[in-house]
Formats: sequence, structure tokens, C-alpha cells
Amino acid sequence: MDYILNFELLDKGSLQMVGGKNASLGEMIKAGIRVPPGFAVTTDSYLGFITGTGIKDAIFKILSNLAPDDVEDLNKTSAEIQELINNASMPVKVQKAIGEGYSLLCEKCSVENVPAAVRSSATAEDLPTASFAGQQDTYLWVKGEEKIINGVQKCWASLFTPRAIDYRNKKDFPHEKVLISVGVQKMVNSRTAGVLFTINPTDGDPSKVVIEGNWGLGETVVSGSVNPDKFVVDKVVMETSEKTISAKHIECIFDPDKGEVIDAEIETDRQKQCCLEDQEIKELVKIAKEIEKHYGRAMDIEWAIDKDFSFPESVFIVQARPETVWSQRKKESVIGKKSGYQLLMEQAMKRIKIPG
Amino acid sequence: MADEKAGRFPDPHEYQVPPELEGWEEMYPSHYLFSKERGEWEKNQFWYLDKIHAPEPMPPLDLLFQEAWQISLSQYTTRVFCIPPAQGIAQRMVGPYMYICAIAPPPDEVIGEKAQLFEKRVFYVFEHYNELWDKWLVKFKALGKEMEAVEVPKELPKFVPEDQVLPAPTGCYVSYDLIEAFGKLVNQMFKGWQYHFEMLNLTYLAYLMFGDVCRKLFPGISESAIGKMVAGAYVSMFRPEEELCQLSRLATSLSGVADILKNETTADQKIAELGKSEDGKKWLEAFDKAKDPWFYVSCGSGWFHYEGSWINNLDIPYSYIKSYVERLEKGETIERSLDKVDKEREETVAKYRELMQTDEDRESFDGAYKTVRTIYKYAEDHLFWVEHWFHTIWFSKIREFGSLLVDNGMINEVDDIYMFNRYEIPELLTEVATGWALGVDIPVRGDYYKAKVDKRRKILKAAIEWNPTPALGIPPEEVAEPFTIMLWGVTTDRVKEWLESMGEVSAEDVSELKGFASSAGVVEGPARVLKRLKEIVDLKEGEIMVCPTTNPSWAPVFTKIKAAVTDIGGLTSHAAIVCREYGVPSVTGTGVATTVIKTGDIIKVDGETGVVTIVKRA
Repeated sequence: MDYILNFELLDKGSLQMVGGKNASLGEMIKAGIRVPPGFAVTTDSYLGFITGTGIKDAIFKILSNLAPDDVEDLNKTSAEIQELINNASMPVKVQKAIGEGYSLLCEKCSVENVPAAVRSSATAEDLPTASFAGQQDTYLWVKGEEKIINGVQKCWASLFTPRAIDYRNKKDFPHEKVLISVGVQKMVNSRTAGVLFTINPTDGDPSKVVIEGNWGLGETVVSGSVNPDKFVVDKVVMETSEKTISAKHIECIFDPDKGEVIDAEIETDRQKQCCLEDQEIKELVKIAKEIEKHYGRAMDIEWAIDKDFSFPESVFIVQARPETVWSQRKKESVIGKKSGYQLLMEQAMKRIKIPG
Repeated sequence: MADEKAGRFPDPHEYQVPPELEGWEEMYPSHYLFSKERGEWEKNQFWYLDKIHAPEPMPPLDLLFQEAWQISLSQYTTRVFCIPPAQGIAQRMVGPYMYICAIAPPPDEVIGEKAQLFEKRVFYVFEHYNELWDKWLVKFKALGKEMEAVEVPKELPKFVPEDQVLPAPTGCYVSYDLIEAFGKLVNQMFKGWQYHFEMLNLTYLAYLMFGDVCRKLFPGISESAIGKMVAGAYVSMFRPEEELCQLSRLATSLSGVADILKNETTADQKIAELGKSEDGKKWLEAFDKAKDPWFYVSCGSGWFHYEGSWINNLDIPYSYIKSYVERLEKGETIERSLDKVDKEREETVAKYRELMQTDEDRESFDGAYKTVRTIYKYAEDHLFWVEHWFHTIWFSKIREFGSLLVDNGMINEVDDIYMFNRYEIPELLTEVATGWALGVDIPVRGDYYKAKVDKRRKILKAAIEWNPTPALGIPPEEVAEPFTIMLWGVTTDRVKEWLESMGEVSAEDVSELKGFASSAGVVEGPARVLKRLKEIVDLKEGEIMVCPTTNPSWAPVFTKIKAAVTDIGGLTSHAAIVCREYGVPSVTGTGVATTVIKTGDIIKVDGETGVVTIVKRA
């Protein structure tokens, strides 16, 4: 049984073992996409933990008693389960495996206690049919073995946040079926980060890549706490058809004094400065196209520009999942089956309205 | 709604021209003037300044091209191919500027009748395009040769030559030949313009159709991407430039020729110098072979007599050759690779096809694409033959008449003939013929005509300083006429912007302009505003060209400039096409760039969003 698995060993077939997020990172590495290095703490580790510590039965018993649509009860149930998980002690073998994985990562990055992102990766997330995204915890800028291990355990507990429980109940998704893995990934020293779509989410235009970004870590863009800069780029002719530079008032950065990431105010002149260079935009589009091609579907991708590397090594993909809104629609012909002459006749009959 | 709109552009009957233009009306035919009899109708149409065909004050004789297209363009839409809801384009003069108007759709029953005819007539053209084009070219070349062959009497002989009297009298003489020759030229010009539109309306219609299909498949697709997929086969229009490139290459392979061509001497001096050596003669031979028809190309649009053509101003092709030779010696490539353009176009199409979501869409797209590609060649091919080659022949023929009028004391300069419209010139010619017939020492009214020339020149000069309103009358609620949308770029947004620009904002306060994102790329640099075509010589390397509109003979300029901005022109306008080819960013159809931007201003041209920003005023 593997407690941890290096991202490089994973692919989309590893979903049950490492969850959607981690499997997708492995899949991208296989496809030659630049992803920050790291490893996954497997679902087996989690299962071993809840069975070994004997808390498994208690968890599902508490859940079975949950009154539907009772918010207070939901919060209480969640708190109870999370306490159970956080208070149990992780099996030593698992702790050791995580410790080894982390020290290898430090070695690889040539940095002692390399800052890492500790992210939940559930087996029922990021499916094309349902977005479980963002329901479990992520811890950024975690440094040192002890804190990493602690972060992993907190991620396990986050499988039972009120929101996650409620969502599974509403979708009739059995709680027992969902397992959790945790990814430990080298933190990108992010100058700029954000998300991109390989389809225009506004109108479903499949020829566009839409990029949204802000200074610092991508969290401000994902959470929507700032108006990000927005770029719409054509995949074929590579023209930028829209470039909106917003006043970005905050950025998510690591505060070395506090030892954690904080939302910091952005100084005035940098607020209205474009957060991406043209070459970075072009590189992101190039990578987006590769990822879309690899998966054969429209994707929703998180990216970051690392200030410690020079372009193009600075451009990293930290996450990729299927786009859920447009890809679920039935693919219908937008023109219908028409000959060139029919189309010409339609055009000839057209009048273009000029509104007053 | 209509009332609100009505107040926003001037009423054509109330719009005042500056007092310095007084008397302008007599330069043009009466049906070109806004008139009381047609007042109700005229007031309710939407007239906009035609900066494509009349960016400058209109010399009376040059109006004949406009007269010809008004009829021909309109008839193909309304009576020949019968584009159902579309009517023709009407023209009016306001001062020496031309306004045009896409007439509102006809009643529904007429639309129905036209639809039936359209189907039958139009599809035939698409199915037989290649053979129709071959025939077109043959008949058009024949027409040009016919015009070239029209004999304009060089002089009025003291006595008719003997061989015209004995033994077989011709029966009619130079007094008649004179008037007949001018009539022939005018008729040939009108015929040429009938041919000009033979397939053009359909070309534009097909382009609009294809653009629409693309936008349905990819709502955010840019106009320049659509243009890229369609363009690429405009061989004739770019042939003059290709010939120059070839001549430049030839020069570098011959001994001593390149050095002579690089000299700072006139074309005549160079020709004399080249004639002294074997290799020089060889090169001159090649030049002579290329010049007809390929150097019968206007230095401007072909629409104005004063633009001149390469063939009559050999200094122009020679100066282009000089710079090409210099670039070749630096190891640069001067030719546009047509193969590359073709390959890029095919790749672009293939990539978009791949992105389509269903096979049905792909199939319909293929049909639309094939339709537009079948006919699009016409858009660029006809242009060389009509506006350039044919007009060049016309201008040189008219100058023969001009010099005859000078010799007979009617005008002072050859080009003064262009100060009279095509109805007036027969009057002058008739007086000359009459004087000759009456005998010796018969006075003519030369001073009367010379005074007219002076007055008209003054009006035209004064008009250059006048910025007429972009539009008159009431904007329509819809436009169906394909040329209006495509060539002039008159769309919903454009009219709105014109309306906005009518407001209180003065040119100095404007810091941003919007137009078509015609060729991608973003650059910043000093502006060079070229209001008149001849100012092109002022243009310096690395400047951003700001002009009313551009023409194919400007092609060599595009290797010099950083970007181009035009007042008028859609995505298939010349500037847009050439900029895309040379990878020079461009924004076209801004409406007011030459008014708002001043030479020396630092401007930023964003060919991806269609925005021009004035960064710093000069």
C-alpha cells in the first residue's frame, strides 16, 4: 500500500487513489505541462487513518442521525466529526511517509523547509458532471514537516465541513463513497496568478481563451474578492480581443512576519497596472490549448507566474479541471445544415438594424 | 425616436457651406444638388460624407467616375441581381464634397419579386465564376485598348489634308472628330464602370454572409480573423509592386545597374545612364516589358486626375526601386510571399474548423467558405483593371484634349480641363470647332473660361480647409445595402459614434478613438497625418500613418510605417488588407482620426481592440 505517491507517478486513472485534483496534476505532468513538483497523500492513507483509529463508524453514525435541512444540526454534526478527525493521531507510518516525501521535495527544490501548498483532493470533485470544487480546505505557504502533517490532517477533516456534507446530501452522493487525498505541492512564489477558461464562459465561444489574473496568489481571483484583469485571446489567430485592466485593490501574499498568507492592499500605481506581460499571456494561451487538447474538452485552469524563474520557466499550471457549464450543454449545431447558397440567400434578405 | 434622431444631424436643406465656397453649385450637374422638388424625400434619408471616393474637394470632371458608379452599383443591386431588400446608393454634393445615402428598402411586394430573380441570377454567377471572370478580363482589356485607340486631334490644321478630300472624301472632319472623340471616351468610361460592378455586389454580399456564419460559430471572432480566412488571392492589385521587386532583384544581378538606380538622380537621367551599357539596356528592356499594364497604376486611388500614375511619373517607381535595391543589398527580403499568405490562410481555416462543435456546422461552414472564396478574387482583381489601368488611360486621353484647348486659347494649363464637368467640355470643344470652321482670326471666349477655372480652383482650395459634417438627415433604423456595410463600414456602432462626435467635444479634447480592429498588434509612436495623398512624401520611417483612406499603390509605404489609422474603411479596405499582410497594426474606420490627431502627436494604436489613444499631444 502506498501512503504517498509522487505527482509524476499519477494520471487520470489514479483518481480513486489520489482524488481528482492530484490525478489531474499527474496527468498534466505526463502531457508535458509545467506543474510545480509535489506528492499526493493517498486515499489509502486516509482510509487507514479512519479505520486504524476506529473513528470511521463513529463518523458515519453521526452523519446518519443528521436532520435534513437543519442548519444548526448540520453545523453541530460537522464540528463533531471534524473534532474526531483532528483529535485522532495519524498512524506513524503515514507520518513517516509524508515526512520523507516532504524532505525529498525540499531536496528537489534545493530549499530547506520549502513552502508548500497543502490541498484537499477528494475522489468526487472536479468531475465533468458536478463541481465539488473548493469545498475542502487548502493551506498555503506551509513550511516544515510538522506543519505539513498537521495540514494533511486538517484537510482530511475538511471533507466534513458543513458545506461539503450538505452538498453531498443534496446531490444524494453517499458520504462513504467520497474519499480524500491531499496534495503537497511546492508553493509557487507567485507574482501574478489567476484562472483561465479554454472556452469563453460568457458566450460559449470555443475559439477563445479567457484569462483572469491578479497580483499575488490566485486566491483573490478564485474567490472573487477583486475585479481581476481580464484578457480574451483567440486561439487561432492569437489576437487579444479584450483586455480589461481593473483597479485591483488587494492581493493575496505571504506575510513572513505572521508566517501566513494575508490579503494585502495594493499600492495605488500598481492597482491599475496590467498584471501580465504580453508574452506571458501568449504562453498561457499556448499551454491552455495543449491542456484542452490533451483532455479533449473545455477546461478550467488555475495558473501562476513564479517570480523566482525567468520566462517561460516562470509560467506554472497549478490546477486543471473540466469546464462544467458549457460542456454539459448538448452540442447542437448553431447554423444548421445549410448550403452556401442558402446562407447567401439568407444574407441577401437581411437588414441590419441601427438602433436609435 | 425619429424626432430625436432628426435633430442630431443637420437637415441637408438647411446646412450651410462657408461663404468662400460661394458659386460651387455651377461646377456640378443639377441632379447632384439637394433640391426643393425632391426635398421631402431627401430630408428623410441619411446622407454621409463619402471619404472613400471623395476624401478631397471634387474637381468637376472627376465627378464623372462618381456619376458612373452611382448608376452601375445601384442597378446591379436593384435591377440586375436584385438583392431583395436593398436599393441603390444616391449621391449629392454639398460644396465640393460628396455625400451618399443607402436608400431605404422597397415595398414588400418588390422584395418578393426580387427574391425570385435573385436566386436564379446570382447562383448562376457563383457556379460559373471562373469562366465569367475570364470573359470579363478579355472584354475589359479590349475596352481599354479601344479607349487607348481613340484619336484625339493633336491640332486643327490650317486646311484639311488632301487625302481626306481626294480621291475619296471622308465627308466629316476634325470639327466633328473632336466632339465625337470626347463623347467616345465618356461612353467608354461609363461602360467600364458598368463592367466594374459586374460581380462586385455579389462579392461583398458573400463576404458579409461568411462573416455572419463565422460570428455565429464563434461569437467573439475578430473581423481581422475573418479577413484572414478570405483574403490572399488579390494578385492583380499587387502585381505592380511584385514587378518592382523583380526589377530590383534583376538590377542586383546585373553589372553596374544597381549603382545607377541608387543614384539621387531623376528617372530620366537614370534611363539615359542605363542606356549606355549592355546590362543597363537589358534592365530597361525588362522595365518596358513590365510597364504595360502593370505600371498603369495610380499614385492614389485612381479617382482624381492630379494623383498621377506611375507610368506618367517614372520618378515614383524608380524611387521605390531605389529603396528596394538598397534593402536587397542589406540582405533583406522585399517580396511578400504569396505562398506563405496562402498557407497561413489554409492553416487558419483548418484550426477554426477543428474548434467547431458539430459536423453539421463544419459542413455548413465549408459551404459558406467555398461560396465566398469562389468570388472573392473579384474584389481585388477588378480594382487594378478599372480604377488603375483604365483610369490611367482616360487621364492621358483627357490631357490630350487639355493641350488642344490650351493651344486654342481656351484655358491656360492642360489640367485646367478638369475644372469643367463632362457636360461643359463639349461646349468648349464646340466653340473651338466653330472658330476653326469660321475661318481665320476668329476670337474665342478664352477669358471667360479662364476666369471660371480661377474661380473654381479657389473654391476647391478653400474647401480643403473646411471640415464638413460627417452626416446629414435622419439615420435609418436598418441598413441592407452590402456596400454600405462593408466598404464604408457603416454599421450600428459607426453611426452612433458619428452622432457622439457631433457633440460639443472639440478635437483637442478627444484622447481616444474607436474603429475596426483591422490588423493585430499594439504599437506606440509619432503620428503623421496625411490629409492629402501627395503628402505621402513627408512620411518617415517608423511613423504611424493617419490618413482618410489608402490605396494599393501606397503598398511600398507599408514597409516603412509602424501602424496605420484611417478615417474610413471597413475590414476589407485596402489599408486593412495590406496591414494584415505586412503584420503592421491598424485601426480603420475611425471617422475622425485625421481631424483629431495632429502630426507629431504620440499615439498608441491597438489593432486588437480597435482603439487609438492619443498618448501625448505634439
